[in-house]
Amino acid sequence: MSNKIIRTAELDPNFKFEVTAHESARDLNYCFACGSCSAGCPIHEVFPDYNPRKLAKMIKLGLRKEVLSSDYIWYCATCRTCEQRCPQKVSFFNVLNVLKNIAAKEGYAPTAWVEQTKQVMQTGIVFPIEETCVKKREQLSLPSLKGEGKKAKKLIETTGLDEIESRG
Amino acid sequence: MSDRKEEKRIGVILCHCGKNIAGGVDIESLHKAVEKMEGVVFIAENRFSCSEEGQATIQQLIKENKLNRFIVAACDPTLHLATFQRCGEKAGLNPAFMDLIDIRKWTMHGSPVKVDSKQALENSKELIKRAVKRIRLKRIIPKIAVKTEPSVLIIGGGIAGVEASLELADKGYKVFLVERLPTIGGKMALLYKIFPTNDCAPCILAPKTAYANAHANITPLTNSEVMEVQGYIGNFRVKILQKPRYIEEKKCTGCGICIEKCPSKAPNEYAAGMGERKAIYIPYPQAIPLKAIIDAEHCLYFQKNVCRICEKVCPTGAIDFEQKPKMIELKVGAIIVATGFEEYDPSEKTEYGYGRYGNVITQFQLARLLDIDGPTKGKLLRPTDGKEPKSIAMIQCVGSRDESTNPYCSGVCCMYALKHIQIIKEMVLPTAEIYFCHIDVRAVGKGYEEYYRRTRGLGVVFLHGRPSEIIENPETRNLILKVEDPDIGERTELEADLVVLSCAMVPPHGTKQLSELLHIELDENGFYKEVHPKLQPVETSARGIYICGCAQWPKDIPHAIVQAKAAASCVDSELRKGEIKLPEFIVKTGKNKLRG
Ligand SMILES: Cc1cc2nc3c(=O)[nH]c(=O)nc-3n(C[C@H](O)[C@H](O)[C@H](O)COP(=O)(O)OP(=O)(O)OC[C@H]3O[C@@H](n4cnc5c(N)ncnc54)[C@H](O)[C@@H]3O)c2cc1C
Ligand code: SF4
Ligand code: SF4
Ligand code: SF4
Ligand code: SF4
Repeated sequence: MSNKIIRTAELDPNFKFEVTAHESARDLNYCFACGSCSAGCPIHEVFPDYNPRKLAKMIKLGLRKEVLSSDYIWYCATCRTCEQRCPQKVSFFNVLNVLKNIAAKEGYAPTAWVEQTKQVMQTGIVFPIEETCVKKREQLSLPSLKGEGKKAKKLIETTGLDEIESRG
Repeated sequence: MSDRKEEKRIGVILCHCGKNIAGGVDIESLHKAVEKMEGVVFIAENRFSCSEEGQATIQQLIKENKLNRFIVAACDPTLHLATFQRCGEKAGLNPAFMDLIDIRKWTMHGSPVKVDSKQALENSKELIKRAVKRIRLKRIIPKIAVKTEPSVLIIGGGIAGVEASLELADKGYKVFLVERLPTIGGKMALLYKIFPTNDCAPCILAPKTAYANAHANITPLTNSEVMEVQGYIGNFRVKILQKPRYIEEKKCTGCGICIEKCPSKAPNEYAAGMGERKAIYIPYPQAIPLKAIIDAEHCLYFQKNVCRICEKVCPTGAIDFEQKPKMIELKVGAIIVATGFEEYDPSEKTEYGYGRYGNVITQFQLARLLDIDGPTKGKLLRPTDGKEPKSIAMIQCVGSRDESTNPYCSGVCCMYALKHIQIIKEMVLPTAEIYFCHIDVRAVGKGYEEYYRRTRGLGVVFLHGRPSEIIENPETRNLILKVEDPDIGERTELEADLVVLSCAMVPPHGTKQLSELLHIELDENGFYKEVHPKLQPVETSARGIYICGCAQWPKDIPHAIVQAKAAASCVDSELRKGEIKLPEFIVKTGKNKLRG
């Protein structure tokens, strides 16, 4: 996003309220940009461009589209260090969940993520089980790993996850 | 005790002050040099002269060596002269013959006049030489006792002046409270609400101002200014000029009929230039005293010899066009200066366009707009078109923390800007988007950080950057601000319908003249200078004259009150016995006699 000029007239000032309307993200407004979240985030360490503090400010400014369409909000490792360290009791982890929910509903979900959902609906399993693994389990007399595709589908349908489309 | 014929036995102590002095000057050489000085019969060194042990040593030396004059070469006399005078007195030494001279300023870390060790040695030698000479030539005449007037002049009727008045009046002193405006109360009366509790300003101010007005021991002199000050502690003679109101105060009931009928309009200073008042007016509904006043500059009778309508309609016959200025002469024992502050005029910072762009206002103006009793009756409307602003940008530190205007932090503007955000978001215009452009937020005080947090919770955009300039869109009269916030990384162009500048607090006009009348010093920023910023914050270089509130330095109301009480307490300590002893001595230098 370098060299761009952000013009507030083109932004959505209500975005912060849209996010903080969710109980789990309510405290985001208290953020005073101290950066503890970013400093402790293991993902920020690997991808410096992924920056919770910056995302927090972008939400407040109302950079709605930029935030929701960003790959970064899907990078979180869900370790919750940010939440642990924040002196203002902001759970940035929860803020990300709220963002991901909004993003998914609006068709911003990454393709891989949607494909994975489809697979779970079909097989009931997140990662496909490789043939060697199946054989090994048989050798060791372990029960076979059969996914419960049908049950998973039902569950997913009740949450509406099945309607999520990827950004394609 | 000590007289002309008596042999002068001068003792000198060189204090090391730990390493503060000993670390920066060759004490041994200094010691040798002092030994040779005329009249010095004894010299010693002390690691910390001010410590109990150090003082005991001094007393022992005085007694053992029958010293009748003593010099401590150590630190600033404003800090410790009294300590050593008391110490010497216990060993039988007249306090006038105890001197403290500051050689530490040449050597101590952080001193603005620190020099290298060679120079420090020369400077110290010279200072001690002069002190020795001075004390050799000094003669004393007995202390004289003077009666003190049990009355106090307080200049400035803001919250600080009013508080100091009440403290002293309740203790039994006669107080003359001089205010140059037609009402007492100062800025606080015009602030609408007061952080950090957001109480209504007039509601918490009026009990004080009304009590001051009614107090048997307080004479409020509004519309008045100090013209002359003579004398010294206990016995100041002052002249005060009371300008005419053209109203007989005793007759005026504050009914306001005259105001309704008066045909002549004038800009309203109590609406920060954003409204009008009549030529005859009452500053605001809670003004004290609640009496009308005629502004001769806008009155048709004074200007064109016509009208006199107010005179015809006043039911009590209170109008008196013949009133003349009155010179009031008073004798007072002490003086407190509480002249407060003024808002910095931001038109000097041309990049922000104040005065050129109609929708750029100051925080003080915003306070008036938000006030139910203000020019818009509490509606937030932008000046150019009277519409409610959808977006508001606040710029902090305008004329503060800026080497081209005022280097200091005004300390209060972060807090009152946060207050205005709370009022807008919670009461006046919750839908407005607010951008707060700051260098950093200073919320230091009891309950202040919590107040800052509460403001953030309302959903405000805090931008960590100081806008470099404002450009007006000539059609919409909207304002474009360029800000750079390192958290975002990109340049941001803020578009706002209204911009509010958080301006510095500066000394009020007339401060320099008043300081000259009072013979007290101003600091480098033009505020009244205290004797010591930490230890004597309300005392001035003139005994019997004290300062408090924003006259000393920008501050919030809690701190102004603390200082007012402190100044009142200083006055009481000096005047309570009804008599003070003035130390008097003479230094004979050739033909000239210096009395002090
Ligand atoms: C916009 C704004 C909002 C603020 N909000 C708050 C708040 O919410 N809470 C808070 O704690 N503080 C607030 N403050 C700070 C507060 O205004 C001051 O702390 C307070 O007014 C200081 O009182 P004072 O008596 O020292 O000075 P002032 O209120 O300035 O009173 C001084 C008085 O002396 C008079 N005077 C001046 N010169 C002379 C002279 N030569 N002769 C005779 N009279 C003279 C003046 O006319 C004035 O009446 C705010 C300040 C501003 C600018
Ligand atoms: S740690 Fe909390 S307060 Fe600090 S920047 Fe992150 S979210 Fe904001
Ligand atoms: S929960 Fe996510 S955002 Fe927070 S520290 Fe862990 S990886 Fe970073
Ligand atoms: S001057 Fe007369 S008319 Fe005017 S307010 Fe006073 S009493 Fe009323
Ligand atoms: S109080 Fe805040 S706005 Fe005022 S000068 Fe200090 S930092 Fe700037």
